[in-house]
Amino acid sequence: MGYQKIFSVALGLIFTVTGAGAPCVFASDPPPEDGGGSVAVRLHLTDGPVPSGDPNAAVWDTIQPAEFKLAPQVHWPDRIQEVTVKSVKVRGMHNGQDLAMLLEYADPSEDAADAAAIEFMVGDKMAHFAHGQEMLQVEGGPVNIWYWKKEDGKGTDMSAKGFKTIRAQDNQNVSATGAWQEGTWRVVFSRPLQTGDDHDVQVTPGEWRNVAFAFWDGEIVDGAVKEQGSQKAVSSWWYFRAEPPPDNSIYGYVVLGIALAAGFEFFLLRRIRRGNE
Amino acid sequence: MKGSLTKTVILLVGMYVFLKFILPLFTAPLPASLIFLYLALTLASAMIFYTMSGGSLDEFMGPIGRFLTGTGQTGIAGTARILVFVLFPLLVGWQTYTRLAPSDVPPAENRTIHPAPPGEFVGLSNPYERTQNNVMMGKGLYAAFCSPCHGANFDGKGPAAVGFNPPPANFSDPGTIAQLQESYLFWRIKKGGVGLPVEAMPWKSAMPRWEVELPDEWIWKIIMGEYDGAGQSPRTWEEEE
Ligand code: HEC
Repeated sequence: MGYQKIFSVALGLIFTVTGAGAPCVFASDPPPEDGGGSVAVRLHLTDGPVPSGDPNAAVWDTIQPAEFKLAPQVHWPDRIQEVTVKSVKVRGMHNGQDLAMLLEYADPSEDAADAAAIEFMVGDKMAHFAHGQEMLQVEGGPVNIWYWKKEDGKGTDMSAKGFKTIRAQDNQNVSATGAWQEGTWRVVFSRPLQTGDDHDVQVTPGEWRNVAFAFWDGEIVDGAVKEQGSQKAVSSWWYFRAEPPPDNSIYGYVVLGIALAAGFEFFLLRRIRRGNE
Repeated sequence: MKGSLTKTVILLVGMYVFLKFILPLFTAPLPASLIFLYLALTLASAMIFYTMSGGSLDEFMGPIGRFLTGTGQTGIAGTARILVFVLFPLLVGWQTYTRLAPSDVPPAENRTIHPAPPGEFVGLSNPYERTQNNVMMGKGLYAAFCSPCHGANFDGKGPAAVGFNPPPANFSDPGTIAQLQESYLFWRIKKGGVGLPVEAMPWKSAMPRWEVELPDEWIWKIIMGEYDGAGQSPRTWEEEE
């Protein structure tokens, strides 16, 4: 009884065919929750040096930015209901050694207290986007914050684990430069991908990690700085990844897959023919 | 049992249409992986059914076997056969490529939206009476504390909603508070995003932990105001059983 024998083979075939076809047939799953903006920042791989310290380098304009909406920080006190920076465009580059990220955002006035920050999780522990605040059922980790303020004229490498714990690190690994022009800030942060410092995010090409952003409009309104401390524009976690080097072994696997499938067809046919005899 | 293969194909197509298009009219759409699983199960059942009903496996497999071997084929059937033999390896190759190719899309995250609450928050009932006054007070507190994210219209579209992923819940959607009991809301509002278990990814949630700012009484009244304003009513114990 040939058919009895090939029963499982045929079942396997059908499952493979439907399994392979399923992603195209069923590709209409609800899209991920992304609110219409970008979901991830891509650090483009380049051969040359990354444009650290140069927010206006021409090469930045060759990169398609990711764009993230920002909210007034109303998650914890002290809150703020209305902020200046409504969204940010983010571009990134790395060369296997160093990385640079450019934040571009609208702010009508250039002020000494204008500031921007990028936040990362450190290590493998998940950390809450609000300064790694305590979670009740999950043991969280710390966050690494790269902070730039116009009047400092440099970047500061910071750590936090919980509200009111933020402080500058002993080991400073981050540099930052800002340039304001016609109502737009362009701030570039840079750092080596790996720092060997346990308090820092370590960036491995090919690996997805989380990232969040914050901005302060330092304009003086009625004698006080408009946005400072927890009164800022924020995002929650999004993603970023340093582009991995191209991997040509993929094509080898594709050829292998085709060969295996063809071999499978050949033996299946032989089986059925034998069964029929 | 003539045409058992045809019957099975019709069954599968019908099943697909049902799962994909008809079911979502009544409930949330099924994820593709689940639809695929159900179809695979249906197919396996059909094959087992035909095997069990004795000898008819030949009829079931016969057309497939004849098609694949090309027995007595001419014209279109022959072309189709060759097409299948060429397309299958290409499909496998393409599938291998899309699985391995570097993607700019971060890995899909399956966040559980309504995880089980801790035991101490199961079965509590609102200790405050649903009076006009209490509902009004709850709505006032909602406007002050919740509307920046969840929106003055309870639709999750407050002025601060845009920066957050996941977005603030839309209470007028039948998929949120209408599915939940008041005691569940009491837990979520008191403990906030950071109170969620790991499968709900507490590190991503912007929902504040209100117990540090609001007394329980206010939270219970906010719950009343929230249901009233959103035009929903809480799920009750009776419906649960
Ligand atoms: C900073 C923005 C923010 C504020 C302010 C806020 N929420 Fe939320 N809320 C969220 C987000 C984001 C979610 C979705 C993620 C989650 O479930 O934790 C959420 C979820 C919820 C849920 C869960 C709904 C469900 O279907 O599971 C309830 C209930 C809720 N909020 C009630 C409130 C109440 C009541 C207030 C005011 C006292 C409030 N929220 C204030 C952001 C906020």
